[in-house]
Order: sequence, then structure tokens, then C-alpha cells
Amino acid sequence: MDTGEPVNWGSVDPNWSPEIVKRFGLASASASTFYVLDPDKVQRLVEGNPLGGINYTVVKELLGLEGYEFSFRIIPPFNVTNVDGTKIDDNHSPINETLLEEKVLQYAVKVCYPNGEPIPNAVIEAVVVYTDKSNFAIESPKFTTTDSMGIGRDTINLDFKPSHVTVILRVSVADVATLVVTFGKNPLRFVDINAVGDSIVLTRPKNKTNAEVKLHKIYFFSADGTLVSLYNGTKDDHFNTGEGSPFRLWNKTFPCLKSRNPVVFVINIETVPPKGSGEHGNQEMVIAGPYQNLLGYTVFQYGSSSPPERGAVSLRRSVIISGMTYTAELTLWKESP
Amino acid sequence: MKGNNAKGQMRVVEVILASFVIIFALSFVNIFAVTPTSPKYEVTELEKLGYNVLHDLDKQGLLPHFVYSEDWNNLTAALRVSLPMDVYFNLTVYDLNRTQINDAPIFYGDASAFENSKNVASVTYGLVGHDSYNPRILVLQLVRG
Repeated sequence: MDTGEPVNWGSVDPNWSPEIVKRFGLASASASTFYVLDPDKVQRLVEGNPLGGINYTVVKELLGLEGYEFSFRIIPPFNVTNVDGTKIDDNHSPINETLLEEKVLQYAVKVCYPNGEPIPNAVIEAVVVYTDKSNFAIESPKFTTTDSMGIGRDTINLDFKPSHVTVILRVSVADVATLVVTFGKNPLRFVDINAVGDSIVLTRPKNKTNAEVKLHKIYFFSADGTLVSLYNGTKDDHFNTGEGSPFRLWNKTFPCLKSRNPVVFVINIETVPPKGSGEHGNQEMVIAGPYQNLLGYTVFQYGSSSPPERGAVSLRRSVIISGMTYTAELTLWKESP
Repeated sequence: MKGNNAKGQMRVVEVILASFVIIFALSFVNIFAVTPTSPKYEVTELEKLGYNVLHDLDKQGLLPHFVYSEDWNNLTAALRVSLPMDVYFNLTVYDLNRTQINDAPIFYGDASAFENSKNVASVTYGLVGHDSYNPRILVLQLVRG
């Protein structure tokens, strides 16, 4: 594991293509040790990265592994799930949606080791960002700890009944390992948030919508648990997401952004939702991204997924990505003839 | 004509029997095939893993904090989340006179794995002190579960 060549190959944007990578390595060029990985490089391994990725065959060739197969996994130190053990996603939210009607946000999650054993005394910090038709608000961080069953729950009073909510949970075990998990109630998705180098790039999602979007505010949540105000939108920060609009809807560079270890960006936008969406008039909304697909609470896998039971060699190392600790595992085996 | 038919049937039976013999032979070989193991590689890999984890925790300031505050529960949790799930560990903290300091086990896994495994790795790591010179010697034993 080294930086590869060019040392910033993951951060090249725009006009990124796999051909620019002369030597493959995931280490961060700004760290003195190789166990700190560059999130931009790791993101290039994510299938479907809107800003471009690098496929398995190319990486194999760059590593000189012709005749061999490999599997690369990034394993979180623990899992954060719904109380019943299901994965947190749009269909399985840890939020009690009924209580939102009464301006109360209640959530419950389970924190456990990868083998399912619950982790007591894990510290959970919750930040709630929410909007209604014309208001936007951020609640101060609220802390709780998990009980002996690994379950952490909390109730947060809101100032108004929200139409869109994003909850950012920072879960820490023994101060050494941290995971940031986001979830919420966001019925419409107008843009995808991407971060590459010091830039934020908003791209058109796969399911196109036709909406006029005004960008109001950008915040980022760092691995150390602070929510930082990054940008206030101007009259020029607007775009349309409909047919004919470019794939890259909006982008801006913020000097030294990457060095501040942003994990999640929270963006407040105002939209005129498309006809037939069920929503009418201008709406304040809140969206979050981009890392939840990669560095959330599941094992990230790249390469061949089925190493043989015998004859494979595995190397493991704890690594740090965006200030959070993971285990990286590289398994190598000879291709079957 | 009848004789030719009978011969043909016998050929089919022979082919089926031969297939069974080949399949049986392959299964037999697979069961008894011994993949060469490398204890040296396994132990070296575990030693590297153990040293890296202790070094990372030390660099973050967490290792001296847990050791000198004798917070063995959090030290155990920190090692558990830092090491892969199938790696069992047993950490003992000594002072310079080789007197054991931890009064509670800093342990994860199955005790029999340490007794029965041929590949137990041992890493020794030193801490000089937190606020003043007060050395501690950490002996971390690791075994694949």
C-alpha cells in the first residue's frame, strides 16, 4: 500500500479516467504513514461512482497480478443497525415517524460487533437537521450511550413539524473507533452529492427529476463530531435538474477542505418540485452525502468475491479513512486454470 | 444383431462405472490433500498486526490513557474494535519488576485456542509513562480463532 502514481490520482477532477493511474496505491499523499488511506482513491473503487471509477481488471493489471485473483475488503470495526438487526436504509429507518407529527424525533439503533455481539457503553452523538416548507433548523448535538443490549435510543424535541429530516449519528467505541451513519426522511432526491479533493460536485441522479434548485447552505460533519458551516449560497447558485441539464449540475472548490476530514455534507436547498411529485410550491429541503454507500455500516468489497477455502493468502491492517478506523483486508489467490 | 446390442449396453455400463471410479478417486484425493501451511508466515503476520494496532493506539494517545488509568474494560473494547473478529487476544500489562498490573483479564476469544494452536504470536510493547517516567511492558498474545 503506497500512494500510487500520480500521488493524487483519486482527486483528479474533472476529466478523470482510469488511464491516468500509472501505479496503483490507496495511501494518502498527505499522511506520513501508509495506513492512512485517501478517501478519494477508495471512492474510485465504488461501482457506480458518478465521477468515475477504476475497474477490477485495470487494477489487477496495474498491480501486476495477471494469473491471480484478489479481493479487497474494508471492514467497519462494528455495525450500527436498526434495533431488529436490519440494515438502516430508506425502507428501514430507525426514526419513529409517527412522533415527527408531534415535533418529536425519536430514534433507536443497535451497536454490535461484526459477529452480532452487542456493544454496551458506545457513545452516540446525534445531530438533527430538518426543514419544513419555509424553515431550516439544526439541533445542537445530543449524546446518549448504548445499554447492555447494545441499544441506544434518544428523543429530541424539534422547533417545528419537519417535512424533511436528516439525522447524523456519530457512534464511538472506547474513543478508538468511530462510525458516522446518516438517515432521515427525504422523500425526493434531486441531486447526488460528490466530494473529490477540495471540491463538492452535485450531479444529476439516475432517476431524473425536473426541478429548479436553489442552493442555500452547505455544512460538513467531520469525523471528530463537529458540524461546520462551509458555504452560504448566492443568487448565482441555482440550477435545473431536468432534461437538457448537464450531468454536473454544480461544483465549487473550497481550499483545504479535504484536510479537514469531512465525512458527510449536509446541504440545504430550496426547490420547486416537479409536477406529479405530490409536493407543491417552493420547498426547503435538506440532503446529505456522499459517503454513506461506502463508509457506512457494511463491509465494502472490491474485486473477486469468492476466495477459495484453501490456497489463499490474506493480509490485514487497521487503516484510517477520513479519520475513522477500519480493517482493510487483501486476499490473494492463484486463478484456477 | 442381438449380440451387438448387448455389447453396446455393456460399454455404457462400463463408462458409468468408470465415471464413478474417477469421481470417487477425485473426492478421496481432495479429502486427504494437505495444503502446506506456513506457521512462520502466520505468526509473522499476527505479530505485525498486533504491533500495528498497539502502535496506532499509542499514537492516538489512547493506549497510555487506558493503561495508566487502569481502564481495562475500555482497553479490551479498543483492541476488539481494532483487531479482526477472528483474531483472539490476551494482553498482560507488567511493570519493570515483571509484576502483573492488570487485575482483570484483557482478553477476547476462546482460551482453548491459545492452548491448542501451534501459531500463537506474541508482541511486546513498551510505554515509558504518562505524566512521569513509569514504564509498563505490554505483552500481547494473538491467535487466529
